[in-house]
Amino acid sequence: MAPVSPYRQARPAESNFEDLLRPQVDYLYRLAWRFTGSVSDAEDLVQDVLLKLFPRTKELLEIEMLRPWLARVLYRQYVDSVRRKSRSPIELVYDADGEDDPLDLLPGTREGPEEHAERSSLRERILEALERLNPEQRAVIAMHDVEGYSLEELETILETPLGTLKSRLHRARQRMRTLLPMEPFSGGQRVKQ
Amino acid sequence: MNCRDFTMHLDDWLDGLLDAAGQRSIQEHLGHCPACRRRHEHAVRVQAAVRELAPPAPHPGFVDQAIARATRMTVPGPRSKWRAVVGMSLAASLVLGVAVGAFLVVWSAPVQTVALRVEQPENVRVMFNSAMPLQAAMLHLALPENLELVGYRDQRELTWQTDLREGGNLLQLPVIARGMVKDDLVARLSHGGSTKTFRVKFEVESGRRSGM
Repeated sequence: MAPVSPYRQARPAESNFEDLLRPQVDYLYRLAWRFTGSVSDAEDLVQDVLLKLFPRTKELLEIEMLRPWLARVLYRQYVDSVRRKSRSPIELVYDADGEDDPLDLLPGTREGPEEHAERSSLRERILEALERLNPEQRAVIAMHDVEGYSLEELETILETPLGTLKSRLHRARQRMRTLLPMEPFSGGQRVKQ
Repeated sequence: MNCRDFTMHLDDWLDGLLDAAGQRSIQEHLGHCPACRRRHEHAVRVQAAVRELAPPAPHPGFVDQAIARATRMTVPGPRSKWRAVVGMSLAASLVLGVAVGAFLVVWSAPVQTVALRVEQPENVRVMFNSAMPLQAAMLHLALPENLELVGYRDQRELTWQTDLREGGNLLQLPVIARGMVKDDLVARLSHGGSTKTFRVKFEVESGRRSGM
């Protein structure tokens, strides 16, 4: 007897999509944050993936190992968005035009002592170091060292040969060790000069 | 094994990929090389620190909004339909000339804060600078509770499609706080399959100043 899918094809696509994806959004967000290092960018990345996937709800119903499949889609979208951003015509800037900076009139936009301390923290230094890796290196660190995917699994997910992944991981770790000094947990030099 | 070999095999060792002979060789080297012991400790600590880096929580309501937006917005309507959602006045204000005012909000950071007083309308102006003309960019606004866009009393969400001209594009949002505003105003600009989200926080003073 053929296995019965818990998701009926006859149900509205919205219901199937929500049943399948809602339990995965936290995971996607977490991974996206590890790729981007920013809450807003991670949310945008997840949103873009969901927008892209909804028309493929039928295909999603057939996927057995949904999480790694979603990780692959997220990774592709991330690399794509980094490439697009590097040539994006959109930037949001202040055109002061010689006037006083109106941001000075707004409360809450300056860095206070608390925020400064936060930026100086170890967490911030690690984030800064990760930011200095290229997107592919960040992704392999996030997925292998943090999320625990083996290099063999990543070979499929990232569609990259094992040898390339190994050297990418090696270089990424080396760079992190260089960026974070030998005694990274007792002050020492900041990553950003 | 010398120090160079140790450095080459360190990652394989950390990942448990060395065979028994390789592991023995590494351990022997560590037994008499303090510099490589430090290298190893450093590598382990960096790896652990990265692993323990916990992501901050997404903004409240993100999951609901992301699912809702995905299932709602994948069938793009004709341009005129989107414009009809909010009417022409807002769409027009997006491409009005550049003006600098006390409440010009510029998103150099993902979140900015604006001060308001209850029941006192203020213009929040948002500058979008585009390096080239963009056709059919989608702008979506989600208003928090107790914040109204003047003229759109009961609408919490507004979406419209518009063209961005090259250079500065000013979006003027006449807003009024009806009470304390806890959540952010969320603006999403989408174009060519990518999205950029910006947030404005509001600090609302409940009382009026004397003499006003």
